Amino acid sequence: MDRPSERIEDTRSGSRGSPSGSMTSAEANAADSFLVRVLRQDGPGLTSYWETHRVAREPDMNCISVLQKIAERAETIEGRRVAPVAWECNCLEEVCGACTMLINGRVRQACTALVDRLLADRPGEIELRPMTKFPVIRDLVVDRSRVFAALRKVKAWVPVDSYLDMGAGPRQSQEDQELAYQYSKCMSCGCCLEACPQFLKIELVRGKGESETDFRRRLDEANRQAFLGAHAIAQVELFNLNPIGSMTARQRLDVLTGEGGVQICGKAQNCVKVCPKGIPLTTAIARANRAAVRHVVRKWFDL
Amino acid sequence: MEASRLTSLFGRHDFAIRRLHSLLGLMPIGGYLVFHLATNAAIIDGPEAYQHRADQLHKLGLTTIVVLEWSLIFLPILFHGIVGLMIVSRGKRNVLNYPYADNWRYTLQRLSGVVAFAFIVWHVFDLHGWLRWSWWVENVARPLGGARFMAEEAPATASAAIGRAWWVIAFYAVGVTASVYHLANGLWTMGMTWGLWTSQAARRRMNLPCAAVGIVLLVVGLGALGAMVRAGRLSNLPDGAAGPVRSAPAPAADHASPRVLGSAR
Ligand code: HEM
Ligand code: SF4
Ligand code: SF4
Ligand code: FES
Repeated sequence: MDRPSERIEDTRSGSRGSPSGSMTSAEANAADSFLVRVLRQDGPGLTSYWETHRVAREPDMNCISVLQKIAERAETIEGRRVAPVAWECNCLEEVCGACTMLINGRVRQACTALVDRLLADRPGEIELRPMTKFPVIRDLVVDRSRVFAALRKVKAWVPVDSYLDMGAGPRQSQEDQELAYQYSKCMSCGCCLEACPQFLKIELVRGKGESETDFRRRLDEANRQAFLGAHAIAQVELFNLNPIGSMTARQRLDVLTGEGGVQICGKAQNCVKVCPKGIPLTTAIARANRAAVRHVVRKWFDL
Repeated sequence: MEASRLTSLFGRHDFAIRRLHSLLGLMPIGGYLVFHLATNAAIIDGPEAYQHRADQLHKLGLTTIVVLEWSLIFLPILFHGIVGLMIVSRGKRNVLNYPYADNWRYTLQRLSGVVAFAFIVWHVFDLHGWLRWSWWVENVARPLGGARFMAEEAPATASAAIGRAWWVIAFYAVGVTASVYHLANGLWTMGMTWGLWTSQAARRRMNLPCAAVGIVLLVVGLGALGAMVRAGRLSNLPDGAAGPVRSAPAPAADHASPRVLGSAR
């Protein structure tokens, strides 16, 4: 389980009212500042609202430093003091995926979204929104646990369940290694899912009198039935390509051809275009489809 | 409870349903579309050629025709169409946010499917009447303006029905274009559905053949439509300048026995 709530960025309010936070809008003229429009939401299931902040421009900013500046001042352009905008980040070098959000309408990582480039494309303003395919926890923080649920569902690991030294495993061809390396770069960010027209949002509300366990069970069931998504399909390819992982290939193929499996893909191919790691997702999907057909035919005829 | 059992039934067999949907799109539906457009193109060679083609088909006899049209055409299209509408309803199109060419193709695949569904349902009623059952044809289809085609008078009845108003001609042009796009793009997506072309390079290479199939079919389909409209205009000339092909118009009694009236579909 990932614990998104623990990773909500703690935006200390210590800098409130400090001199650095008292820039007036007159001081900040257009050239050395820019506007940031943020789609905010105070908690799960609440209505969202837009809020605009002005941020002083500094060299080499990225969207995380922009959010830090917003947290420092926590004041809208109308001069209203507000709670700091919440976001998540971790690695700050595009390998963890925690900071994924919609920046100027495009899903990407905030830590590598450079302000200079964003302002060159759209002068004066940056727009930040939470991802739309996952339930919002607060502001820009979403619950991406379904991404990981899908990885568990397809058994995205190599089982080595033995106390004995079994010696070296079988070797993998250079060609397979190269393809596997591509797939292994996935950071579970969810960009491919956000852009996929076949991947629909699941947001359940805990009913009155429903226990946490019952609610979890209902959520797991909903996740189980819904589309795995491109990232999990690519991970099936990765682990079925692995010589030891391939020993449990059939289990993964059962999931791939089951409910929510690879058949839901509609070949829109947005996933491959938005993946920040350049993973050949459509190749993975086509190869997974080939393996899935063979698997089903083999099962059908007891081969 | 019942509804959820039904959805879980669909869920469990989703893979098989979707593969069947894909397969039927090619065969027999795609195959039939090619055959149908090619058959209709006989009108380009004139009303006699078209009548000859209709006669050839209807030599099969009523029973054979009914069995073939239901098993190879109507039921597969109904299955593919209804499952297709369910697929469309379960997607959330986003081409305005992600305006990539492939995403346009995905979106148009859905749009053309929905247009083709509406067109085919209407077109089959308009010319064929849906059922070859005399009571139905006389009391329902004909009074509602359907079942206009008669195999004995193939060119005259078809051109009269298709050329009867500008919107009918336009609907035909849209319906044919949508169906052809849907098949051509569907051929390409099938390669991914069945894992035939897996690499990026292979997928790019296959664009051309699929587009070529689409362009040829579009020329044939729209060519037949144009020739059909023109045939209708000629036969409507005063003094029967280019009168109906069959000298003797079918007597009223014949019209009243639709069970033996076939259709070139
Ligand atoms: C003119 C007759 C039709 C032909 C020749 C045809 C053919 C095809 C073919 C070859 C495919 C590709 C299958 C694949 O990608 O695996 C396809 C997909 C599809 N068809 Fe049709 N089809 C026809 C009518 C319809 C109708 C009436 C609908 C109803 C809306 C429809 C909806 C769809 C959808 C939604 C897909 C995409 C499936 C997917 O990629 O997941 N089609 N069709
Ligand atoms: S496949 Fe790419 S876009 Fe999808 S989760 Fe992995 S890294 Fe992110
Ligand atoms: S190719 Fe499939 S998985 Fe990728 S965006 Fe399109 S529908 Fe989604
Ligand atoms: S903080 Fe890890 S990807 Fe941005």
